Amino acid sequence: MIKRPGYPPADTQIVMRTVLFALVPGFFAMTLFFGVGVLFNLATAIPAALAAEAACLGLRQRPILPRLNDLSAVLTGALIALSLPQAAPWWLIILASTSSIVLGKHLYGGLGQNPVNPAMLGYALMLISAPVTMTTLWIDPLATPDLSTAWLAYLGQSNDAVTGATMLDLYRTEFRVLTAAEASQNPLFTQAQLGLIYGYEWVALAYLVGGLWLIYQRVITWHTPVGLLVTLAVVSAFFSFDPDTATPVRIHLIAGAAIFAAFFILTDPVSGATSPKGRLWFAIGVGILTYLIRTYGLYPDAIAFAVLLMNFAVPMIDHYTRPRIMGRSSSIRGSGGQS
Amino acid sequence: MADYQIHRCERQLEGGIYPETHKAPSTTDSCVFVDDPKRLVFPIHFSGGGPGEALVAVGATVFQGTPIIKCQSGITHVASRSGKVIEITDHAITHPSATKSASIIIEPNGLKDQDYLDPLVWPFDADTLRNRAIEVGILGLGGAGFPSFKKWSDGTQTLIINGAECEPYLAADDTLMRIDTHSMIRGACMLSQSLDIKTIIIGIEDNKPEALEAIESALKEFRSDCFFDVVLLDTKYPSGSERHLIWLTLGIEVPTGSRAVESGIIVHNPGTLAALSRAIDGKPITDRIVTLTGEALSTPQNVIVPIGTPISHLIEAADTTPESLASITVGGPMMGYPVTDFTAGITKTTNCLLAREVEMPPESPCIRCGACATACPVRLQPQQMIFALKGGSLDRAILEGLTDCIECAACNAVCPSHIPLAEWFRLGRFEARDKVNDQRLAAEARERFEARNLRLERIALEKEAKRAARQAKTADALEKARKARKESA
Repeated sequence: MIKRPGYPPADTQIVMRTVLFALVPGFFAMTLFFGVGVLFNLATAIPAALAAEAACLGLRQRPILPRLNDLSAVLTGALIALSLPQAAPWWLIILASTSSIVLGKHLYGGLGQNPVNPAMLGYALMLISAPVTMTTLWIDPLATPDLSTAWLAYLGQSNDAVTGATMLDLYRTEFRVLTAAEASQNPLFTQAQLGLIYGYEWVALAYLVGGLWLIYQRVITWHTPVGLLVTLAVVSAFFSFDPDTATPVRIHLIAGAAIFAAFFILTDPVSGATSPKGRLWFAIGVGILTYLIRTYGLYPDAIAFAVLLMNFAVPMIDHYTRPRIMGRSSSIRGSGGQS
Repeated sequence: MADYQIHRCERQLEGGIYPETHKAPSTTDSCVFVDDPKRLVFPIHFSGGGPGEALVAVGATVFQGTPIIKCQSGITHVASRSGKVIEITDHAITHPSATKSASIIIEPNGLKDQDYLDPLVWPFDADTLRNRAIEVGILGLGGAGFPSFKKWSDGTQTLIINGAECEPYLAADDTLMRIDTHSMIRGACMLSQSLDIKTIIIGIEDNKPEALEAIESALKEFRSDCFFDVVLLDTKYPSGSERHLIWLTLGIEVPTGSRAVESGIIVHNPGTLAALSRAIDGKPITDRIVTLTGEALSTPQNVIVPIGTPISHLIEAADTTPESLASITVGGPMMGYPVTDFTAGITKTTNCLLAREVEMPPESPCIRCGACATACPVRLQPQQMIFALKGGSLDRAILEGLTDCIECAACNAVCPSHIPLAEWFRLGRFEARDKVNDQRLAAEARERFEARNLRLERIALEKEAKRAARQAKTADALEKARKARKESA
């Protein structure tokens, strides 16, 4: 009965479905540039997530079908599948997907109760448990594997010819010793199309399109993506006074998971801050932590850890970012303040 | 011609929703009278104005306008038709609690015997008007039923007529503003002149062009010293909430915990002012306009009915058999409450009977999407409040602002998980009131106890001091006597 200008879709299932649709452009771009391994990831992670969800619901004696129907497990599976290396072996995908659901979600009471982002929990767990697999099995977009190579990688026999580290990792390790001019001679730059870095920037663009559509559909607000991307840009620009050693702003924004995370990971409403102002602070925190961990930490990309750390800060952010209630002189802050 | 202006509101309601209004079914035809029912029900404690006592006994003959109930607040309720008191008994009432309560049952005799008061002659002062409002039982007819005279404090600058009627389906105020425009404006003027108010604001949503036209033509004919400011509001729920209407028309936020009167503003429903106008002529409130609507009624319409008319009689008046309905909503779809016993009579605050079947999709867990916070017109975060309430922490919910909730149910309407948020908050607020009350009582008891201890202590000290003084006196006397003895010896 309600006309809904300004509000998200009328049902949880439709919300989840809209997010899944928004992932489609990114998924196509990924498959195009990084090969069918992406498809294997999805085809493994989603059934694994659904099976884990059903098993947990069964064990918890909750109705199974209505909860499977809300598509939240499918979404978690899809997000983890798109986050993992494209040449990841099957066991890694299943482990990541099931631990997302079991440890990230149902241990705390299922949908709506998880304090941390389930997909990022699964991802971080894999990063810690299988660091080599997680950092070396990324597909080089200049050597997109054919079906059989991808299938072998899926079975666990990766091919060094097509895999390697991500661009962010290259900058951390190899490009560090090069000057900016030398680094720009890398084929990734020389084979750029329409000025966009081969593969990476096209994928980022595709995710951006999906993300903007989500804002248009009112599933997410602008606060989160703007908060993360602007923070990351500002912080990395501030520290890039020496172009020969610093990772450029452009790489920070597009080479890692920044755009994907800005629209699809940080926007998880359950584990994120809840007021618009809170969402902004949450995203700013993730941006700063991401830069710090990328630059000084052990891991090439840092979104997962940054998101998890900020998830723990959410109760505090929520405490300090309540809107001012109509009729009160100031907003309620902290747990003791009364206006 | 009264001095007036009509303009669109320059402020936008923050939050709120645009529900489908469904007003047409009941407003296409003009308002009709309904045949008097066979019996009229008047709850003694729940007619508005607080608990009361019966002024008549079983067997008494009453006229239209005879006082039958006097409430603690002083408000008097009258018989709406002449007839005989046939029973005073526990009877179903029109109230959210759905309980039975002591009620006076009157059987109308169809005669036109009237028991009215003498008309007031201008000029009269505010106290005369207050007394008259008490005598004829004027309450806020918009739904809350707050005794009107309590709002009429001296030093008020503005009177706002709340013609927003933002609830979907409702058209009782709309109808009144069309057919009884003159009474409404006359009541507003009388009240304003006796309280020395200079500005009268009429807030009206832009989906009532006929009412607006009626008001404009009435203002053209009317002579008054007051300035009328007619503010056209967007049709957005809940612009008719008292606090929001004040903000929309004046830009003033009434502070939490204080009443509009304390900010120098009186807000009245159009019906209340029309009733006041008639009260000045000596006629008490005996009838009101009720919207009969909803898809389950064959003939939706607005009717003028005597107070106390059983709900079943009105369902029949809408060409529907009462047995075909499981329950009926009293009030609008947003803030109304269900009544299942149709023998209950309508009260002064019953503005709408809504019959429709709504199928709510099954509830799923909250995903904190924040749609409710966007919809909340008082900027609460319902997602945080429901988390606290479902977790059993009332204190936490109160900290998040539960007591500021106006129960408008805009959050319900936008929740993608279909959680009945407003019902939780209504219950929570009820418990919170109890809790605050308990705390107040406990604090009072403690104060009394401490005061008593202090008093006892003081008495004990005084006693002690007196005893010491007495002892000292005795000792003194003894000493003197001893000295005297020594000297004599």
